[in-house]
Amino acid sequence: MIFMRVLFFAHLKDVTGQESVNIILPFPHDPGQLWERLLELYPALAAHQSQVRLSRNWEYATAEMLFQNEDEVALIPPVSGG
Amino acid sequence: MDLDVTLTDAPIAEQILVPLPAGAYGAWIEFRGVVREEESGQKIAALAYEAYPEMARREMRRLLEEISKRHACLAVRVIHRIGLIPVGEAAIYVGVAARHRAEGFALLAEFMDRLKQDVPIWKRGSRAVEPATARDSGPMPVAVGRKLPLFSLDEAMAKIQAACQPLPPLRVPLAEAGGRVLREPAKATEDLPPFDCSTRDGYAILADDPAIRHQVVGVIHAADWQPRQLHPGEAVRVATGAPLPCDGLRVIMQEDAVLEGDFVRLARTDSSKNIRRRGDEVKAGQVLVTENSKLDAGRLALLATAGLAHPLVSPRLRVVHLTTGDEIVRPEETPSPGQIRDSNSILIRGLLAGQICELHQAHLPENFVAAWAQLDFNKIAAADLVLVSGGASVGERDFTRPLLEQLGFEIQFNQVNLRPGRPLIFGIKGAQVAFGLPGNPLSHFVCFHFAVATALARLTGAAPPTFQRGVLPESLVSESCPRETLWPARLSLSAGRVLLHPLNWGSSGDVTCFAQANALIRVPAGQGSFAAGAEVNFLPAGAI
Repeated sequence: MIFMRVLFFAHLKDVTGQESVNIILPFPHDPGQLWERLLELYPALAAHQSQVRLSRNWEYATAEMLFQNEDEVALIPPVSGG
Repeated sequence: MDLDVTLTDAPIAEQILVPLPAGAYGAWIEFRGVVREEESGQKIAALAYEAYPEMARREMRRLLEEISKRHACLAVRVIHRIGLIPVGEAAIYVGVAARHRAEGFALLAEFMDRLKQDVPIWKRGSRAVEPATARDSGPMPVAVGRKLPLFSLDEAMAKIQAACQPLPPLRVPLAEAGGRVLREPAKATEDLPPFDCSTRDGYAILADDPAIRHQVVGVIHAADWQPRQLHPGEAVRVATGAPLPCDGLRVIMQEDAVLEGDFVRLARTDSSKNIRRRGDEVKAGQVLVTENSKLDAGRLALLATAGLAHPLVSPRLRVVHLTTGDEIVRPEETPSPGQIRDSNSILIRGLLAGQICELHQAHLPENFVAAWAQLDFNKIAAADLVLVSGGASVGERDFTRPLLEQLGFEIQFNQVNLRPGRPLIFGIKGAQVAFGLPGNPLSHFVCFHFAVATALARLTGAAPPTFQRGVLPESLVSESCPRETLWPARLSLSAGRVLLHPLNWGSSGDVTCFAQANALIRVPAGQGSFAAGAEVNFLPAGAI
């Protein structure tokens, strides 16, 4: 059982209506599987998926990475700092 | 390389000190990125910046370390401001110390380029974020409530009192009213007694009749109603409680009289009238039992006397109690290594024994999805009070908070600065109340008496529990604790004083002491011990 905290930033907060959610997965997911789950929960994210990167525990996730129990996951839309 | 990376919501200082001693560097290059008055073709007054702070700091450090492998510098200071930044003020400051200007400029330029690609910071304009909308009602995801502050004991009790509202009352027959809370003042509709009556078995005569021998002209038993005007020299035999036949009488006790055929002779006379006057005890309209009183045997008897046969009272509470934890076995089972018997189910049942309630108990597996699948949603939807035992902490298997949130409860607090019983969760959903109780039985006992009992009192309309004063007959010795303590004690009454004998409890998992405990002594935070004879505050926690 994977308990995971997922954070939304910038306009994704408006897209999902949430700043953060807890989701529960039956087994560790790779980024593709996690996206499938996220799109089930928030279909409106589909329009943004191509521009959004996932982070896992404060680092950008790689394609091979597995999301594990208690991970903090964030959806990072294009940044505009500085 | 000396790195310092800061995120701040305060203005960036005008002067930033070079972090190296003079002579150690050949170039100190500073860059300030400033908010312009135009953004995307619009005139603006300020720009709002948002960050994912933990990751932004890490990412900036990672970038600087990576870039400095190609452009070796001595020290870098980065300050990124977030929040609302007025036009003309700096959003970012970067200072680079290097041996020569070339590598300093190169690092600065590349860092700023990469920052704008990778560091999770966003301009959000100055428009307001739209309010979050309600999500679909499926079991997942769980909206995570914000991090809640640590509540003090007083704050927690006040929050519960304020958040819980009395349930709508109803009228029930007296036979079903026992143990419920009266929700309106019970007022007498008539005088009590309703007529003048004799307090003795004896003879009623005119109060001012000087004769000592009277003709017995009638007999009145307790249930008789025989009005008649007595005349001098006449007497009526009356029983205790019998209504008197007219005004202006007194009753001679039969012990003071001798019956001689149809006549009675007064052997002795005194000034007592031996009459209870109409309305002596209760006048019509007088409050017999105040609102918010629990109806015990005596009060029920008074209501019955006054004919208040259908009092307005608190409803029967519907309570759902869910236990969690795979380590729990039933009391009749033999635990395997690592398992313990479930004492919380019967403890909660016992603690609720004084309440008029319908209790539904169930055990949940320690797996959220499996637990969710087993929930009786009808029972929960109908419940006034939901209690969840265990799972109140923040371990990976502690799902009480997400469970309650998913059920729609808004969590009011999830930690109280108290021992035992710190990870106590309190949630509200409309008129429904929920508590997540920390798993060990002593914590249950403590949390029930200060938190659940307060909620029960509010829901039923009774007076909430309050701290009382008592005396320690022996010293209470404890290590000083930064949390307040509710210390289990045995309360007894002696010579008009409330004595509180502190009980031994080794840890909050101690299960032997609360079999004796009927009070909880309040030990202030930071106070280790009390001397014998000290006066202390305590909360009642059971029968004396």
